[in-house]
Amino acid sequence: MLETLQLAWRVTMRHWDVYRQNLIANMSPTISDPVFIILALGIGLGAYVSDMDGRTYLMYLAPGLAISTALWTAFFETSYGFFIRHTYEHVYEAMLTTPIGPHEIILGEFIWVALKGAGMSLVVTLVLLIFQVGAWPLAWVLPFVAAMVAISCGAIGFISSSFVRNINQFQTVYAFLINPLFFFSGIFFPLDQTPIAIRSICYISPLFHGVRIGQAALWNEDLVATLLHHGPLLVGLTAILVPAAWLRIHPKLYR
Amino acid sequence: MEGTANTSAGESVIECQGLTKVFGNIEAVSGTDFSLRRGECFGLLGPNGAGKSTVIRIIYGATPRTGGSLRVLGYDPAIDARAIKKHLGVVTQNNALDEDMALRDNMLMYARCVGIARRDRAGRVDELLDSLSLAHRATARIRQLSGGMQRRVVFVRALLRRPRLLILDEPTTGLDPAVRLHLWERVRALKADGSSILLTTHYMDEAERLCDRIVIMDRGRIRAEGSPRALIERHCPGTIAVFPPDPGLRRRVAQVADATPEFTWFEDRAGVNVRGPDLRSVEEFLFKRGLVPLMLRPSNLEDVFLEITGRELGDDA
Ligand SMILES: Nc1ncnc2c1ncn2[C@@H]1O[C@H](COP(=O)(O)OP(=O)(O)O)[C@@H](O)[C@H]1O
Ligand SMILES: [Mg+2]
Repeated sequence: MLETLQLAWRVTMRHWDVYRQNLIANMSPTISDPVFIILALGIGLGAYVSDMDGRTYLMYLAPGLAISTALWTAFFETSYGFFIRHTYEHVYEAMLTTPIGPHEIILGEFIWVALKGAGMSLVVTLVLLIFQVGAWPLAWVLPFVAAMVAISCGAIGFISSSFVRNINQFQTVYAFLINPLFFFSGIFFPLDQTPIAIRSICYISPLFHGVRIGQAALWNEDLVATLLHHGPLLVGLTAILVPAAWLRIHPKLYR
Repeated sequence: MEGTANTSAGESVIECQGLTKVFGNIEAVSGTDFSLRRGECFGLLGPNGAGKSTVIRIIYGATPRTGGSLRVLGYDPAIDARAIKKHLGVVTQNNALDEDMALRDNMLMYARCVGIARRDRAGRVDELLDSLSLAHRATARIRQLSGGMQRRVVFVRALLRRPRLLILDEPTTGLDPAVRLHLWERVRALKADGSSILLTTHYMDEAERLCDRIVIMDRGRIRAEGSPRALIERHCPGTIAVFPPDPGLRRRVAQVADATPEFTWFEDRAGVNVRGPDLRSVEEFLFKRGLVPLMLRPSNLEDVFLEITGRELGDDA
């Protein structure tokens, strides 16, 4: 078990080694996208939206977008990233000649995605806090929530990787699954006023639960109640998605 | 290095019986038996798609087998792949290098993957880069290196752990003659140091020079086995006379060869060929009939290979 973790960690470290070759370039879009959406929508559109449950639109957007970085980074790593490493770069073929096995590769990928999701949302959260968007006391919760969201969304990416026949097909997944997930997870508007059908679907979105917890943390209000409500749902969804991803992707690495 | 593999069961490093592998409806390997003895260089030859890489991937546990029994360094790769891979080096058919990383950084990363202690990594990597004449490019990105250099980098990666079993899957395909010679020297040195080697190659001269024993595979089955000399003696002994590819000549050659039992003829890229028992008799036979060949040569492993696997292009060629 310890050796499994150790071997998985080497996979994680390999990704970090490659990632940090172009650290600034690699981080730029993941950080700048949410920051500029927050600024543009928050300041621009926010001028016309006077009151979002008693806070400015800028403040409303901030936590959701900080958490959403985990969705993007995780999904891209385990869809396009995984596919390229697997099919074009033969990274896993080389790894499998070392004591690392297929299970350790999958575990290492999940660790990487969790850490990357947490790291990205940490940076975005810090930027927000520095510009006084959000409250400090509970903000430390965000990277942890982001890690969980990254794991579950990474699982969605893996599952899609197991179905696509070529790299272009990820565009369909992106267009009809990831995009709606992003826009209907309570980041841009509260879901309370949406039709019940949409609200029910949101309940099976791990991002939605992560966003709710992130909002309670960054707005510094009823975190415990929110955690009790959305925490088990986020963990539960992750506990379904991860084994499903594992079962789907393992035969790709070992067949 | 931790653990010593148990190879007490005879002196076989690889022992495989009735090995089969089915992908969907393709039977890639169909009942393969062979064994690789300790300290031996063993060649696995066969046309593209014969199943060589699949056998190799099964050996180190990267692919599950469908049937048959297999022991590698005393372990079953379906159960103990990790134990096997601690003593293994593989030159994969694809280079599978991280092209955007600097050469030395990439090798340090793999030194971590194979479990070399942090304090020993740099020393081991530098030693190997030096011995494969790559030290002067240590900081270059891998994509900037020539094909021959990249292939040597894969050798460095395979040798990091001082493997007891070295697997080479088409190690010299596409390389220039100087690089091939250089790599052959390395393989001989490793063998002299006691490594056992499993080699696949499409170069018959390479197999003839490096391998103690060879099996020839075709469509998942083993068609012949033995030392290069024994295979030539058994399947294709004698001398071959080569004629240019001319239809008139072809007719005459066919006519005279078909009429004499100990002579056979065949066509290939080079032209029309007549094979007979030995140099003297072939010469006499042809000159008497006024046929003057371009050259006479002893038959070699390539003739055996083509004799066994056929001269037509297979499905995967
Ligand atoms: N992962 C795979 N899925 C399906 N078919 C495969 C796979 N790997 C190999 N094959 C098939 O198995 C056969 C043997 O392939 P391979 O072992 O790569 O041959 P060789 O290395 O001798 O050229 C080929 O027909 C190939 O198409
Ligand atoms: Mg092959």
